[in-house]
Amino acid sequence: MRELLTRILDLFRRDKLDAELKDELSFHEQMLARDARAKGASSGDAEHAARRHLGNITSVRERSRDAWSFAWLEVLQQDVRYALRGLRRAPGFTAAVILTLGLGIGANAAMFGVVDRLMFRPFPLMRDPARVHRVYLQSTARGIVRTKSTFPYTTYRDIARWSNSISDHVAFALHPTIVGSGPTAIEREVAGVSASFFRFFDAKPAAGRFFDASEDSIPRGADVAVLGYGFWKAEFGGRDVIGTKLAVGPLFLTIIGVAPAGFSGVATGAPPAVYMPMTTIAYAWNQSQASTFFLTYNWDWTSMMVRRKDGVSEASATSDLSQAFVRSQLALQSVNRAAGATWGLAPLDSTRPHAIAGPVREAAGPSAGLESQTLLWVTGVAVIVLLIACANVMNLMFARVLRRRREIAVRLALGVSRRRLTAQFLTESMLLALLGSVAGVVIAQWGGAALRVLVLGDGADTGSAADGRTLVVAIAMALISGALIAVGPSLLAARGDVAADLRAGPRAGTFQRSRARSALLIVQGALSVILLVGAGLFVRSLDNVRSMHMGWDPDPVLVAGMNLRGVTLDSASTAALVRRLDEAALSVRGVKSIAHMNADPFSTSTDFLGVAGIDSVARLGRFNQQWATPDYFTTMGTRIVRGRAFTPDDRGGSPLVSVVSESMARKLWPGLEPIGQCMRVGVTARECTTVVGVAEDAVQGTLLDDQHLMYYLPFYQKSPDGGTRNRLVMRMSGADAATHMEEVRRELQKVMPGESYMTVWPLGDEVNTQRRSWRLGATMFVGFGVLALLVAAVGLYGVISYNVGQRMQELGVRIALGAQSSNILGLVIGQGIRFALAGVIAGTAVALTASRWLQPLLFHESARDPAVIGLVGAVMLLVALAASAVPAYRASRADPNSALRSD
Amino acid sequence: MAPAKRDLLPGTLEMMVLKTLTAQPMHGYGIAQHIQRLSKDVLQIEEGSLYPALQRMRQRGMIKAEWGQTPNNQRARYYTITPTGRKQLGEQQSGFAELVAAIGLVMKTS
Repeated sequence: MRELLTRILDLFRRDKLDAELKDELSFHEQMLARDARAKGASSGDAEHAARRHLGNITSVRERSRDAWSFAWLEVLQQDVRYALRGLRRAPGFTAAVILTLGLGIGANAAMFGVVDRLMFRPFPLMRDPARVHRVYLQSTARGIVRTKSTFPYTTYRDIARWSNSISDHVAFALHPTIVGSGPTAIEREVAGVSASFFRFFDAKPAAGRFFDASEDSIPRGADVAVLGYGFWKAEFGGRDVIGTKLAVGPLFLTIIGVAPAGFSGVATGAPPAVYMPMTTIAYAWNQSQASTFFLTYNWDWTSMMVRRKDGVSEASATSDLSQAFVRSQLALQSVNRAAGATWGLAPLDSTRPHAIAGPVREAAGPSAGLESQTLLWVTGVAVIVLLIACANVMNLMFARVLRRRREIAVRLALGVSRRRLTAQFLTESMLLALLGSVAGVVIAQWGGAALRVLVLGDGADTGSAADGRTLVVAIAMALISGALIAVGPSLLAARGDVAADLRAGPRAGTFQRSRARSALLIVQGALSVILLVGAGLFVRSLDNVRSMHMGWDPDPVLVAGMNLRGVTLDSASTAALVRRLDEAALSVRGVKSIAHMNADPFSTSTDFLGVAGIDSVARLGRFNQQWATPDYFTTMGTRIVRGRAFTPDDRGGSPLVSVVSESMARKLWPGLEPIGQCMRVGVTARECTTVVGVAEDAVQGTLLDDQHLMYYLPFYQKSPDGGTRNRLVMRMSGADAATHMEEVRRELQKVMPGESYMTVWPLGDEVNTQRRSWRLGATMFVGFGVLALLVAAVGLYGVISYNVGQRMQELGVRIALGAQSSNILGLVIGQGIRFALAGVIAGTAVALTASRWLQPLLFHESARDPAVIGLVGAVMLLVALAASAVPAYRASRADPNSALRSD
Repeated sequence: MAPAKRDLLPGTLEMMVLKTLTAQPMHGYGIAQHIQRLSKDVLQIEEGSLYPALQRMRQRGMIKAEWGQTPNNQRARYYTITPTGRKQLGEQQSGFAELVAAIGLVMKTS
């Protein structure tokens, strides 16, 4: 260590050391001469002998100098200078390589920036993140394992109480909530957290203090708030707000502190505006559950984070949390039995509950959605793009070395060791790769911001792509690709036949087919085929999901939901408010019809169903329930295929009726007339609910549900006063409902009492959110696929035209011997096509093998779709044709005269 | 007739330089002379190996170098042994003694 330091210091004072050594040696010389004189030699002889004795002073100095410099550093410097000179002499080659590598590295740096932010990067300021986990709960129902990352607060308390492997735990939840009052009030991310939350971070409040356990206690926490730093700066200009009041949802809180800058808790998107106690926020989010949220198990809203005790492994934490979860499930069953509830009572042998101590970032955990899986695939795609880029550059390097064969031979003949030569190629490659990574970071910076918005959403930490972690990755990629692209030329340089090359010179008689270069071309082609097949599959998935018949029309429909913000209404005034809202909605120009429903299309609600002759309806699948007013079907655009829709007469007190989906009718009464059938809805139901109509199948819950088991109940039979927790849906006359959104909201808001407010959104937005993963896959695969194809095409062009250049003489001889230009064209183009064909075959084989894993990410599309594979094959062949056409044309014009003359 | 020169065993030069410097600080020429004298002219230290060795030893912290005056008022670089150097010397010396003893044993038996 100390030696290294001295050596580095010596490196900087090497001129001084050199001068000192020179003095020292001359002193030595003088002394030798003096001693020789003393022994009686003549002064001239003595000096001469002394100098001879001392030998070659230069050699001594050089060998000493080795000690105070790093020899390799100087050699490296030399090599870098040599490489730079070489690159400056070939600007076209250099630019092509830097651009190609830049695209490859840039694509990866951009993807890494996104994936890292979504899945891997530790949360800012978190203390010892390696021991912190999010708790995931899994259970099995109908053979399907379901993973939950949110669960009842009661479950959180059970697990915290009954586990021994954790040293700390926290409950938290994040939800958009209205903040502020008056016209400036808007929905912001609000975090409910246990008091222990702040202990997970090395964070000191920027002002005031955080709340403590006494302020986060059941049954109800204190009305206190800690502001997010960004919100504090933006909304209050960073002034002293401690002790002032802030409205959050229906609550009025006292601001007690401000979180420090850079603190965002465990939010992936926008950092929360407000942090407040879990036991307080329950009252803001779910007033009907508020008084029992810590006793019952029917509100899944709590996420849980734990810190492992020292020396406890992840696996033992998982099994310890699991036993706690099992106890909690038993507690749930006894609570439910006591309350007469009928759900959650399945024996634990069949549900097999267990917990997992997993990554804090959900996207990296067991409950990650389609989107993060798609993202991982896209990352793989980016790596493939880099591989193609490297293959391409390797090819260019090969061509360059072949062109410089003579120069290399001369240098070898002059005594340059092959090792030095290899080192020089490596230097050149590394230099190119590093320049490429600089270009890559620029490209990532430029394209990455758009990508991060596409994936992470607005308001997320979309900062610069050039942060430390991304830079490290970019440099690592540069080093790897630099090593990769140096392999070929180095091998070639190390093996070349000096004598033959010297004799033949640059104009080697016959062209040599390089097996390595052909292999590279085929690999490139194959990789491009894989990407393009992926692109095709995702595009068709997106197409399928877009053209999918939903059973309702997303485009002309607006949805509205209300938030009462603490305004309490009795049944009569609720009914009056609903009536006034209906009138206000219908008064807006363009609103054709309105209806109420109780569940958003992408949420589900269900209930116990009993049907005569069927043991357990639940075993047949999940039956979703929707409460609908009479105009629901016309407003949503869901067709009634048999019987009738609801009428205003289907209200409280009238006979219970239902409309069922076609699939449900087929499932429950196969081959029978569904109209007039009887079902019992709810465990305690005695009365028949009679089926009066059959509706077309409609999407509910998720786009991926192919079962479409769904039934509708008359809204006013379930909720006579209309209720305030339902959705108002409005069908507009135009196809683009979004343009009317603000106007509708204004009209509805006029009716709302007090601080309560209305939110309006297009139904299409909900659908788009659901389609995101396929849109992401299609966009990214197509983008990268086209990039790969271009790079591969350029590579093919380069190789073919190089080959043609090498063969000019042979081709000239052929023409002189009577070959037609069509023969020559066929010869060259045939070569290009053969490469492409080999690539298509290899790529298809890989794509078919990988199809098994890609299948779950696609939508109603076979991962082995022959149409996609065929199309991609055709495109590849066409591109190969185009890429070899130009060199082929040049070849067909080979001049027989010059060919014959030059030999 | 000068005695035949012997090649040095690798690593022994450092050891002898260190040993020489334990007596007093010395310049390069002095070190070479000292070794030659004590070895009765058997060991003649080539400057080509002495000065690079001195540089290496300085970098490893075994010796220090300072410019000083010779008794004849000439400028010369004097080398001093450091505590690290003394420790090194002890280790090398005992290692060398073991080696010589071992070689001696082998040579005696045959």
